Amino acid sequence: MGDAIRIENLKKSFRLGFIPKTREILKGISFSVKEGEIFGYLGPNGAGKTTTIKCLLGLIFPDAGTIEIFGQPHLASRARQALGFLPENPYFYDYLTATEFLAFYADLFGLAREEKNERIARLLKLVGLERAASLRLRKYSRGMLQRVGLAQALINDPKLVILDEPLGGMDPLGRKEIRDIIVRFKDEGKTVFFTSHILQDIEMICDHVAIIVGGRVVKQGALQDLVSEKVLFTELTVSGVPPEAFRGLGEGLSVQGDRVFLKILEAGRVDDALALVREKNGKVVSLSPRTETLEDIFVETVTGQ
Amino acid sequence: MPRERAAARGPATLLLVLFLLGMCASFMALKAKTDTIVRKKVPGSSIIYIPSGKFLKYATFGYSALAADLIYLWAIQYYSTPTIDDRFDHLDHVFAIIADLDPAYLDPYETGALIATAEARDIKLAFKILDNGFAKNPKEWLLPFEAGHIAMMDLKDYDLARQYFEKCMNLPGAPDFTRRLYANALYKRGDLETSWQTWLEIYNTAPDERTKKIASNHLYQVKSAIDTNRLKDAVGKFQERAGRLPEELADLVRAGILDKLPQDLDGQDYVYDPKTGGVKAATSPWKR
Amino acid sequence: MRIWAIAGITFKEAKRDRILYLLFFFAAVAILASRVLAILTVGDRVKIIKDVGLASISIFGVLMAVLIGTSLVYKEIDKKTIFTLLSKPLHRAEFILGKFFGLVLTLLVMTAGMSLIFLVIVYLHTFRIEWTMLVAIAYIFLELVLVTAVAILFSSFSTPILSSIFSLAFYLIGHLSWGLELLIKKMSAGAGRTAAQFLYMFLPDLENFNFKTEVVHNLPIPAGIYLSSFLYGVFYTAFILALAVIIFRRRDFI
Repeated sequence: MGDAIRIENLKKSFRLGFIPKTREILKGISFSVKEGEIFGYLGPNGAGKTTTIKCLLGLIFPDAGTIEIFGQPHLASRARQALGFLPENPYFYDYLTATEFLAFYADLFGLAREEKNERIARLLKLVGLERAASLRLRKYSRGMLQRVGLAQALINDPKLVILDEPLGGMDPLGRKEIRDIIVRFKDEGKTVFFTSHILQDIEMICDHVAIIVGGRVVKQGALQDLVSEKVLFTELTVSGVPPEAFRGLGEGLSVQGDRVFLKILEAGRVDDALALVREKNGKVVSLSPRTETLEDIFVETVTGQ
Repeated sequence: MPRERAAARGPATLLLVLFLLGMCASFMALKAKTDTIVRKKVPGSSIIYIPSGKFLKYATFGYSALAADLIYLWAIQYYSTPTIDDRFDHLDHVFAIIADLDPAYLDPYETGALIATAEARDIKLAFKILDNGFAKNPKEWLLPFEAGHIAMMDLKDYDLARQYFEKCMNLPGAPDFTRRLYANALYKRGDLETSWQTWLEIYNTAPDERTKKIASNHLYQVKSAIDTNRLKDAVGKFQERAGRLPEELADLVRAGILDKLPQDLDGQDYVYDPKTGGVKAATSPWKR
Repeated sequence: MRIWAIAGITFKEAKRDRILYLLFFFAAVAILASRVLAILTVGDRVKIIKDVGLASISIFGVLMAVLIGTSLVYKEIDKKTIFTLLSKPLHRAEFILGKFFGLVLTLLVMTAGMSLIFLVIVYLHTFRIEWTMLVAIAYIFLELVLVTAVAILFSSFSTPILSSIFSLAFYLIGHLSWGLELLIKKMSAGAGRTAAQFLYMFLPDLENFNFKTEVVHNLPIPAGIYLSSFLYGVFYTAFILALAVIIFRRRDFI
């Protein structure tokens, strides 16, 4: 499997202001995205995530570095045909209906009429907008715009889908739907590259992750490699056992009703606690080992820079 | 700058720039060609329904002075185009508009009057323009001066000339010669007494020798006219009484018609021709 | 083709712009008002109607081209709709050309509408269909096409207000070419005059498209000028569009 995206030593500076002062935004970005994987691109605000994407898409011309999409130079027509893009806070021609909007983009790809209509119908169904298809985009809510944007990104059945903050501003149900759609892309063999602030979502679906801080990629790798399996502590919830019995076993003992919450730091003590519960004929309500999350890694990386 | 970076990138940009230059060359060549095609121009035709100056003044939103300038500039070009046969049809209207838009703009009054006199041969219009200008600018000596000049030279209406010169000679900034022109107009009109008074005044207040000399010559001329008229009258009376012309001027004194013979300003006697009865001065006033 | 796809939605977008209808309304009023003005003249009434009518189509057409054209590209950049568009396999040149043709199409419809009203009014006065008026209108339209290209050029890198000022300046300069010619005649030979001469050839001469006087006064139009002016318009428009494409191509959309 080749690389869907390969970026090497990408540099970009901007000359801003009346008396032009050069600001270096990208200081030598390098990473690659394998075909068929879901790749998460993280970083604090202003790190250069959106600039990287705009370079990738040919909206900005880099000062130095190479960008390849499926082995092609990124501006080549074949590369562009293979990708779909959903921008952050999308804004579309609000006087068009969803159908007209998608039809326009389909025309840009030169789809034949039958195929065009079929695909539009299918995509509207996929993103859950069939009922709102003939409503003008002006009347759409934020979430609906996000969905129609996603449909637009898929109009050419791209092999690579690039999404800038696709989950922003959506309610939990919406986020789940989008997550599911993204996972389905992977099942269909598509590659997905997206940025997000919502680390839980990234943790849930990404295979690979890169963290960009101050215009540089400071950490990248497979998610499971980055996030160690080390257990930080274990949260135990039991009922039917008097709280005093657990003293000394852990920290953070609290009681609510007949339930006792316990935070156990040492792994060995967990077994002791479980034995105690069995002894007292209590019930284990829940046992959750808390491992290092992506958020921990992220905060550590960003504050460390 | 975008252009420099574009030039560094690829054959497509080069092609575009070549295309750009090609188009530029093409349209410039076409413009040269189109310039050679003669189009019938009737620049004056739309004057017919330009509204009055007053309306234009409101329509130009306070830029009436600028509008006056532009129309004046246009008018100069228009009236210098000899191929437009009927260009003088609306001379009055055009300069009236300019006057309405900027009454204090003096040049158009003069130019309009000039065009009217010299080219359109409509002296009445020239006076109309200058009078209008003077009415709006009562302190400008130049306008009645021009009018007086036209009256003197083209119309030979010395009374009218006198009126105009009288108007202008006392205005601020009026040069000395306006007074002299006034005096001369009086003379030409036959108003000899007043002419004499005026010339005397000029003589007495002359700032330099040259002016004094000019005044002196004119005084000579006027006196000669007065004297020769008196003498001619006297000769006529003599002829009535005696039935014949006197043999010499002294006869007039002997006959008691005159007390004594007047002499010219230089103290010379007047010359009498007994055959015709004509009297004239001994010298030309300008050859003294 | 992609250019036509963009032209299509540009047309759809332009015809929703209320300015268009406002200007059309004013143009219609002006043309109808010429009927009233005609009563005030002494002399040939139809000439006033023709002059006012043609002038209205010209002036309001230019205003439409400038006011809509200058916001056309700017709006896309400002509202960021351009991001999804340019990330498609769409050449930037195709984008510019699509916008251009979309607006030209809109102006064609508007000009046709104004012309219809105009011709009807003229017909009511002369009881003849004056076909020569169409010649003048056709070249007015060509002038509008050129002004549209200029508006789009400025719109691709400047705000609507500045773009409007520049575009109107272009229009004004285009009609004052004769002034520059006069000036050159009165200049003495030297660097100044050569520069002025170059400027004279380079700056637009929009009077090449002005047949209003000839048509209203029934003067003969020399045959050569039809083709000459038409090609001039085409080449100058191509020049402006090429310039727009060159500027737009390398632009970073931050």
